[in-house]
Amino acid sequence: MSQWFVLYRKEWLELIRSGKLIWVPVVFILLGASQPIVSYMLPEIIAGAGNMPEGTVIELPTLTASGVMVQTLQQFGTLGLLIIALISMGTVSNERLSGTSAMILVKPVAYSSFVTAKWAAMLTITAISFGLGYGAGWYYTAALFGSVSLLAAAGSSLLFGLWLGFVGTVTILFSTLLRSAAAAAFSALGAAALLSIATTLLPKALAWSPGKLTELAAAQLMSGHASGLWPVVSITIISIIAALALAVWHLRQHPSIEAV
Amino acid sequence: MALLTVKGLTKSFESTQAVNSIGFTIHEGRCVALLGPNGAGKTTAIRMLTGLIAPTSGDIEFHGIGPGADRRSLIGFLPQVPAFYNWMTGREFLIYAGRLCGLSAKEAQTRSSELLERVGIASAAKRRIAGYSGGMKQRLGLAQALIHRPKLLILDEPVSALDPIGRREVMELLRSLKLETTVLFSTHVLHDAEELCDDVLIMRAGRIAVGGSIQDIRSEHRQPILSLEIEQDEHSRKWLQNWLKTPPAYVKTYSALSGGVRLVVDDVNAARRNLLAELVESDVRMTKLEIGHTTLEDLFMKAVTE
Repeated sequence: MSQWFVLYRKEWLELIRSGKLIWVPVVFILLGASQPIVSYMLPEIIAGAGNMPEGTVIELPTLTASGVMVQTLQQFGTLGLLIIALISMGTVSNERLSGTSAMILVKPVAYSSFVTAKWAAMLTITAISFGLGYGAGWYYTAALFGSVSLLAAAGSSLLFGLWLGFVGTVTILFSTLLRSAAAAAFSALGAAALLSIATTLLPKALAWSPGKLTELAAAQLMSGHASGLWPVVSITIISIIAALALAVWHLRQHPSIEAV
Repeated sequence: MALLTVKGLTKSFESTQAVNSIGFTIHEGRCVALLGPNGAGKTTAIRMLTGLIAPTSGDIEFHGIGPGADRRSLIGFLPQVPAFYNWMTGREFLIYAGRLCGLSAKEAQTRSSELLERVGIASAAKRRIAGYSGGMKQRLGLAQALIHRPKLLILDEPVSALDPIGRREVMELLRSLKLETTVLFSTHVLHDAEELCDDVLIMRAGRIAVGGSIQDIRSEHRQPILSLEIEQDEHSRKWLQNWLKTPPAYVKTYSALSGGVRLVVDDVNAARRNLLAELVESDVRMTKLEIGHTTLEDLFMKAVTE
């Protein structure tokens, strides 16, 4: 176990030294805060544009506080997801390509520790960034539109956070399977998009799909409860474990690429 | 005492057999060179020993560890091109390596300081590895391989990429290391092997062509040699040409030298007597006649080109 913490500490140190621990939370906070602020200012922005014909009446739907929070989540679902894929895409493949994985894995290091330490570091930075970003969104929504119950916000953040963690795990899996970091990010985002679309198109058949997590998070926000939650959560957790196991298995077969 | 026994170790990639059923034993305290031209399968063989490549077939057996124990804990490995986390300092990397090998935080620190001093990069210990030169990285690589006092130190071409000074320094380091632990290193330079090693394994095309202790190999394959050089006048050259057309029975093989010929012979005394007589009789203007023995280099060349 102490060896696992040594590995985790190294990942953590790398997050700090590379500056990721600064810029990723900052971007998430900007994403989270900008959505309620922009929604609030939108009528004025349009009025200030000044090129409207005289007498134009613009009717904007009245936004509820929870509606704004759902929009904020959608921001995290696109740009946030992209950032998580970008910071995780090289986590294993870069080490295999540069040869550092060969340096480490000739030591008595468990392959599973090597992968899970990276995975835990990814979860940590995701949790911190998303927590701060969502918190910022919640704060500005409360200030500008009216409060959203903390319980609904917290529940939806757990569900949505699980989705982010799932996509991060898939990125790490592809980072282990593929040589190219860019291909890993592309595959992971592609898989996430496919899963989301398929779940929307076939809601009945894919009622258990992890792609449903975003929908559940929104439902949790709007109505305070999400039905059909547990199958999705369990399947997601099982998929995460399976992805990690596959990554470990593949790494054990091919600890370094330059060796071949 | 045997430390490591390898039997029938084979690795085939899609179309090629990189290593073809090699077997050898490494005894404790010996320094062994894995010698061979580029592409002979040295790196593949070494990577199988370290566990970085799974063998297609064959056994690697370490003696003195329990069944199921991780053999990686006995091995210290320096790859051909050591790679590091460039954002770490040299000292941080060593401590990290030590902790991964199971040293306590305190042990790892003292051992790191000790090794940094020993490999001669103590003054750069607090600098980022990104700024290290090739020679410094090689030394850091050596230090990280030694951090847990391995029973077997495996080095893949440890001096090939270094300039002459760096090479000399690393060789000196190895000379002192081989007194403490068992060393296996690969090289394509015979001279390095001869300088340091007790045993050699000469590989060619995935097989071990010759193996054993340097002394044994030397005496076993030692053959007498006559080198003859002549002046480049018409008469002497003609004589040599004619003489080589039907060489006497004692000449086993011969090869041309600049201005002469090198003969591998079986009976050195008969050869000497006969050749001198012929030279005198035909009035050949000889400039040099040397009698010696085949070197390890001759054997190496023979083993890898045959």
